Amino acid sequence: MSLLQKERDVITRNEYADSFDFDEIEDFIRNANKEMFISHHFKKRDRILVQPRGGFPTYKKMFELYEEFMKADIDVLPLTIDSNTRLNDYAMAKKMLTLSEENEMDMLNGYPLVNHGYRTTRKMMTHFNKPVSLRHGTPDARLLVETALASGIFEIEGGPITYMLPYSKNFPLDKAFLYWKYVDKVCALYSTLNEPINRESFGPLTATLVPPCIVIVIQLIEMLLSIEEGVKSFSVSFSQNGSMMQDIVTSHVLKKLAREYADMLGGEDAIINLVYHQWMGAFPRDKNLSDSLINTNTVIAAMVRADKIIIKTRDEAFGIPTMQCNAQSVANTKYTLRTLKGLPEVHDAEEEENLELEVRAIMDAVFNDPADTLWRKVFNTIKNGLIDVPFSPHIINHNEVITIRDDSGNIRIIEKGKLPLPDRCFAYEKSKVNLPESKTEVITKIIHDIGAML
Amino acid sequence: MKVVTGVVGNDIHVVANRLIDISLQARGFEVFNLGVNTSLEEFIDAVVETDADILLISSLNGEAEGWCRDLQFLRSEYDLKEVIFVIGGNLAVGEAAQSDIIPKYKSYGFDLVFHQIDLNTGLDEIERFVKEKA
Repeated sequence: MSLLQKERDVITRNEYADSFDFDEIEDFIRNANKEMFISHHFKKRDRILVQPRGGFPTYKKMFELYEEFMKADIDVLPLTIDSNTRLNDYAMAKKMLTLSEENEMDMLNGYPLVNHGYRTTRKMMTHFNKPVSLRHGTPDARLLVETALASGIFEIEGGPITYMLPYSKNFPLDKAFLYWKYVDKVCALYSTLNEPINRESFGPLTATLVPPCIVIVIQLIEMLLSIEEGVKSFSVSFSQNGSMMQDIVTSHVLKKLAREYADMLGGEDAIINLVYHQWMGAFPRDKNLSDSLINTNTVIAAMVRADKIIIKTRDEAFGIPTMQCNAQSVANTKYTLRTLKGLPEVHDAEEEENLELEVRAIMDAVFNDPADTLWRKVFNTIKNGLIDVPFSPHIINHNEVITIRDDSGNIRIIEKGKLPLPDRCFAYEKSKVNLPESKTEVITKIIHDIGAML
Repeated sequence: MKVVTGVVGNDIHVVANRLIDISLQARGFEVFNLGVNTSLEEFIDAVVETDADILLISSLNGEAEGWCRDLQFLRSEYDLKEVIFVIGGNLAVGEAAQSDIIPKYKSYGFDLVFHQIDLNTGLDEIERFVKEKA
């Protein structure tokens, strides 16, 4: 028995999980309908796939949500996981699930997949016969992902950096790398049976003035870590940042470099997809304005030629949306995409060149780290502050980079901390901003820039 | 002057914490930022360790009260009489009047209490308080 299989046996032998029958699961995946694999839909490249977020505690309510989505002609169904499961607290998830079932009241903010188990959940997934995307935020997602794949959920979001730096203060980053290595290995293993399992990174990060060069570097790294383990279909992603031009520039550089780095490191046969998130910062409290923001986002997703768009709802400022509201948002987004025709191809050579140079400089710093494996190089790079995510709560993050918007809404770096940016790139960033005289005014402007869509 | 700051309790609201950090630095303070999810004991340990002049605790989710009741006790335990204790942010769950909240937190041992006050206004107040004390 391989070491991986031994580890899988240990991980899946859990009192709150189904008993895993790996041979049966392999058979299921081998014979699963291709419609259930998002990678199969990506290959066609004939439209932007629309995916909302959503998860309810009980099987019954989850089923009803999917029925609402189906009426809106959805492309990709979401399965959002509750916060107890994300922290591996299956005992609490079980208790809250029972309370939700008994009282017809939602006591969890998502679907506790491990407690429901794969035998039950698979019935729902095969019934709807649509690609499903696992949305969570779990540092140790080993059991969760085993359960998801066995259920027929063939897209797994997340990664050791993007599910860690925005969400956790002190979960050890080195452990997260190893736990996600396991996830990638299992995804790769199942990818040989049918269409490939798609892995997706979470580009929005803290969604708080994160400069494009940091987003792209982290997208490239998580893609390379997955490809290293044998993943054959990967989605890089980013979210609306407040300037349409900067989003378009980001998309060009991200697509170009993702292909280049993948090819360079043995991923020539991997499919790379682009995912665009609608605005991930604070939403207006006026629902009509939210509709307008969502619609603008859809236009930008089309402009950046995204393969998939992940949408928000008009209820965003108030909490978890109702099923009807969520489904309406799917229908609206699909309508906008259907009516958008003749989009121009836009480029800004100067901006693209500058961003590309920044990304290459940081990637060089990663590869030049003396550690022996990629994940250790990345770990050291983050620890040394050469990768630094603004507004991360994690203790390993340096928090020295400071960004602000220029007059066109582009995010610019005004303090680079230890980012290894070439001098000319940093000079270019700073030349774009007219900073107020006093530091107090600068901070007032940063506060304003964070809430750009309010 | 040295300031220890951070967000008290099970509160992961990091954005305001970072803004407080850079604002204090911009005003010339030496900042020791403990970040989010910090317990009262950790704050006091850091004040002792850094020999800080000011402890600035923030809270956004409104749960600060439960975490700060032991402040008087800890304050006397460690003989921290010279340290200025400040708390600010959103100090109650749901609606609450300034006139109720401020005396309550002062009775816990805080010298300055800011409930839903603009960041720069609060920091101006702290600077004024420091000057008057000196």
